[in-house]
Amino acid sequence: MRKELSDGELAVQIGLGSDAEAEGELYRRMAPRIRLYGLRHLRDEQAAEDLTQQVLMKTLEALRAGRLQTPEKLASFVLGTCRISVLDLRRNTQRRERLLEKFGADLTAPAQAWLPPLDHDQLARCVQSLRERERSVVVMTFYDEQTGADVASFLGISEANVRVIRHRAIQQLRDCMGVAG
Amino acid sequence: MNCSEPFGAAVLGDYWLGVLGGGEEEVLEEHLFGCDECGARLREMIALADGVRNLAKEGCLRMVVSEAFLRRVEEEGLRVRQYTLPAGGEAQCTVTADDDLLIARLAADMSGARRVDLSIRDGDGVERLRLPDIPVRAGASSVVYQESMTFAKAAPDNEMIMRLMALDEAGERLLGEYVFHHTRSLPGPGGW
Ligand SMILES: [Zn+2]
Repeated sequence: MRKELSDGELAVQIGLGSDAEAEGELYRRMAPRIRLYGLRHLRDEQAAEDLTQQVLMKTLEALRAGRLQTPEKLASFVLGTCRISVLDLRRNTQRRERLLEKFGADLTAPAQAWLPPLDHDQLARCVQSLRERERSVVVMTFYDEQTGADVASFLGISEANVRVIRHRAIQQLRDCMGVAG
Repeated sequence: MNCSEPFGAAVLGDYWLGVLGGGEEEVLEEHLFGCDECGARLREMIALADGVRNLAKEGCLRMVVSEAFLRRVEEEGLRVRQYTLPAGGEAQCTVTADDDLLIARLAADMSGARRVDLSIRDGDGVERLRLPDIPVRAGASSVVYQESMTFAKAAPDNEMIMRLMALDEAGERLLGEYVFHHTRSLPGPGGW
C-alpha cells in the first residue's frame, strides 16, 4: 500500500487519468465530511446522501478535467461545491416533505448507522439527573431546533443565558455518558 | 490524527442548532473539511441531540415544559393526555396505550415566589420525589408538569399527591395541592 496522499497529491493523481485507487481514496476521505455537512443543512439523511453523491461526482469531473487550479485546496473546493449543491437539494427536500404530507408514510427514513450508538436508558438517566432548568432547556431545544427565544421567554432569562445553560447541560450529559472532551 | 485546535462540544452543539454566527460557522466548516477528529465529535453531538429528541417524543422524562412545547408536540401528531387542576383540586386519571405524553397542568398563585419546588407524594403523603427550583415563567398562573410515560403506564391503581411549594428565607409555603386518583386501564398486573 502506498503512503497516505495529501489532498493536493490526491487531486493531482486523479487529474493524471483514471486512477481507481485515488478516486476511491477521495470518496473515503470526503464522503463522511459531505454527509455531515448535508445533515446539518438539509436535516434529512436521504438528502445528505444525495448531496454526497452529487458533490463527489462534480468533484471527480472537475479533477479529471483538470479544472482545479490549486490542487492543495481540494477540501475548500469540495466545501464550496457543497454550498452550491445544497441549495438545489433543499428544494428537493421540500418536495419530498410535501409528498410525505400528501401520502402520510415516511418512505425515506434511512438507517442512522453512521452516527455513533448511544445507550438509550443511560441517556434517559443522565437527562433526568440534570437540574430542572437544564433539563427543560436541553429537551425543549433539541426537540425542535428553533426554540431559543421561546425557551428564553419560558425561563424568563435572556437567550445568552439559555445558551450558557445549554452549554453546561451538554457538557454534563457528555460527562455522564462517559464521552471525553 | 491530532487536531491542534479542537472545537468543543458547546460550539459543535451551537453549529448543529444553527445558532453560530455566519463567520464562526464558515470557519468551523472549513475546519471540518480537514479534520475528521472534530467531525467525529460533531457526530457524537448529533447522536446526543437525536437521543434527547427521541426521549422527548417517548414522553419518558419527568419535567416541567412550556405551553409552546406542548403545542409543537401536538402539531407533530403526538397524543397528549392532559389534566388541568386548580389549587386544591382532584382528578380521576388514567393513561392508555395510545397516549404519548401525560401532562398535569397545576394552577397556583405563584406571584412573589423566588423558588418553586414540585413535591410528588404517595397516597399517604410521603414525599417520593422532589423537583427543586422548577422553571416558572414570570406571571405564570400554572405549572405544566410532564409525568414519565414509562412510569405511568406501569403504575397500578393508586393515589398521587402533588404539591407546589414556594421557598424563601422564611421557609416553605404551600402554593397548591393536587390529588390524582389513578386507575390503570392497561392490561397486566402493574407495579411500581
Ligand atoms: Zn479539529
